[in-house]
This record gives sequence, C-alpha cells and structure tokens, in this order.
Amino acid sequence: MKTEDLIAALAADTRPATTPFRKGLMTLGLALALVAAAVAGLWHVRPDLAQALQGPALLKTLTPALLAVLALGLVRALARPEDEGWRVWAPVLALLGAFGLALGYSVMRGGLLDTVAALDIKRALTCLISVPILSLPPLAALLWSMRAGAPAHPARAGAIGGLVAGASAAALYSLHCPEDTLLFFTLVYSVPVLAMTGLGGVLGARLLRW
Amino acid sequence: MKAANRGDAQAYARLLHLITPVIRGIVRARGVALGRDSCEDVVQEVLLTIHLKRQTWREDAPLRPWLYAVTRHKVVDAFRSRGTRIEVPVEDFAEVLSAPEGPDPLEAQDMDRVIDRLDPRAAQIVRAIGLEGETAAATGARLGMTEGAVRVALHRALRALAVLRERMIE
Repeated sequence: MKTEDLIAALAADTRPATTPFRKGLMTLGLALALVAAAVAGLWHVRPDLAQALQGPALLKTLTPALLAVLALGLVRALARPEDEGWRVWAPVLALLGAFGLALGYSVMRGGLLDTVAALDIKRALTCLISVPILSLPPLAALLWSMRAGAPAHPARAGAIGGLVAGASAAALYSLHCPEDTLLFFTLVYSVPVLAMTGLGGVLGARLLRW
Repeated sequence: MKAANRGDAQAYARLLHLITPVIRGIVRARGVALGRDSCEDVVQEVLLTIHLKRQTWREDAPLRPWLYAVTRHKVVDAFRSRGTRIEVPVEDFAEVLSAPEGPDPLEAQDMDRVIDRLDPRAAQIVRAIGLEGETAAATGARLGMTEGAVRVALHRALRALAVLRERMIE
C-alpha cells in the first residue's frame, strides 16, 4: 500500500471522538459510585460518622481524597505523549512529602515497637485487606481509560493511576473505619495505597503500551 | 488538526500530507540499515498511530511537540521490534530535513500484509477508500451499507490494523 493511499484512508475516517479525559472521568465516577455503594452496603458506614467528621477523623478522609484529586491531575498529564517535565509531579510529591513527615513524626514520638504494639491488629488487617479490594474497580476504570491515551512512560502513568485508585478507595473506606488515631491512619492506610501504586505500575507497563 | 478533530477530512488530509515528509526524513535518518522499503513501513506505522491517538493532543497546546513526541515514541518502538535499539534525542527533530518524495511514491509491503489479515469486508473498505479514492457514500452503495456504517467499519478497521500490526511484527 502506498503512503498516499494510507493517508486517503486515514483522512476518510473522520468520526469525531470525545476527548479521552472526559470519557475517563465518567468511567472513574461510575467505579467510585460502585465502591461507595459497596462501603455503604457491605462494610457499613460507621454509625457516629457525622460526629467523627468534626474531629481528627476528617483528616483521614480528606488527605486521601486530596491525594486522589491531585494524582488524577497528574494522570491527565502523564497520559499524553509529550514529556511534561517535573513540574506536573510537584503537587503530588508535596502532599506525599508532608504525609511522610507526619508519619515519621508520629512513629518517632511513639517509638517503632510501641507504635506497632499500639495498633489494633484486627482492625489493621481489615483495612489492609479492604482497601486493595475497593481499589480494584477504580484501577480497572483508570487503566481502561488510559488505554485511549498515549503515555510517554506507560509504567509511570499506570503507577499514578494505581495511586489514584488506592487513595480514592482509602478515602471511601475511611467512612467505615472506626479507628481515628493519626498513627493508625498514617501507618496502615499508606501500605495498601503504596501496594496499589506498585500494581498500577506493573499493569501499566503491560497494558498501556501503544 | 483542530479542524481534523472536528471532522474536516480535507484539512486533515492536508495536514497528513504536510507532516509525512518530515516523518519520512526522521525515519530515514535513523534507519539507514533498514533499507527504503522498511523505512516506508515505519512511516506508515507512525501515520496510523498519529491518526488513532489524535485525540490526545490538547487543542490549547502547540501541535509540534505532540507530533514529535508521538513520532519519536513510535519510531523507537518500530525499530526496537525490528531488532535494533536506537535513541532519538528530541533535539534532532528541530534540524531534520524532510526527505524528498521522489518521482514515484514509495510502496510499502507491511501494510498490505496486515490488511489481508482483516476480515474481507473491512479490507475491502480500507482498499476502496485508500487505493481507489472512493467516498464512503460510494463504497456504501456498492457494498449495500449505509454511509454511516461504512465510516464506522473504516474506523474499526484502522484500529484493528494497529493491533494486528503489533502482533505480526513481534
């Protein structure tokens, strides 16, 4: 086939498409609605939610929610072929840095062994298992949407997609989680969110090639 | 490109004609070892990718960096799957000279082989519109399909081409 002919065939295919980002947002919204329904129906929202949200438990919901929103902005940049440089990473890295400091501070104050001993193991395990499960629908939605994109670095884009999925699932799970200590939240929530980031990276490297 | 994303076929064809020599120049400069025919295969691969990914260009961003980024990604990818690893530094694109087309437009082999693997009707549509320059309406009338159905089929066929091509080369 001559290149001329290929151009003719390409130019004839003029079906206008919606931008991938808008379509992706809708898919992600659906996935998160599913997760919210699962938290409400299967995990059950904590009975004292309204009261708890006036205390420090608000942070437990807001921090991952903010992280998810910032990381989603980063996903948008990473799903494009142009290399956008380090600037797009700044908001997410700043929040993660602040989070790391808070974690380090609370562990130092308590001492590592005492910290671990102070954790409610049963609740911690529930969280460690629940958050990854709840992350799967948004992760699937994000990876599927990003296939319409053209990420310059598929693994990185997938990893940040995993971060969005993990953080948004953690934010919704926090509506159930009865444990309010800063320590519990910083220590136990970060594990599944990091795991989802890793999983997103591995899957992204395979699924997001173009 | 803006017009193309809104469905203006003529503007789109003009754009593709404009960028093809530039892409060809880049591919030839990088792929001396491949020979001319294989280079043209890569050029077609890049064009197909630009077509399928054109929605990832943001209308408020300049087109050139997007175009170079896609070309660079695809050229590296194409050479890698053919067994040569190459590096394409971005700076190269600025100075690249567009390759002359020559009196006889080049014929590439790969695309034909991939088209043969499509289902017969899809292959027929791609060939009719590409090679014979038929309009979607005329193709539809001949095959007993509506114009809209031909457009949908063409769109699916082009996407299938990219997938098949990837599989065949690897």
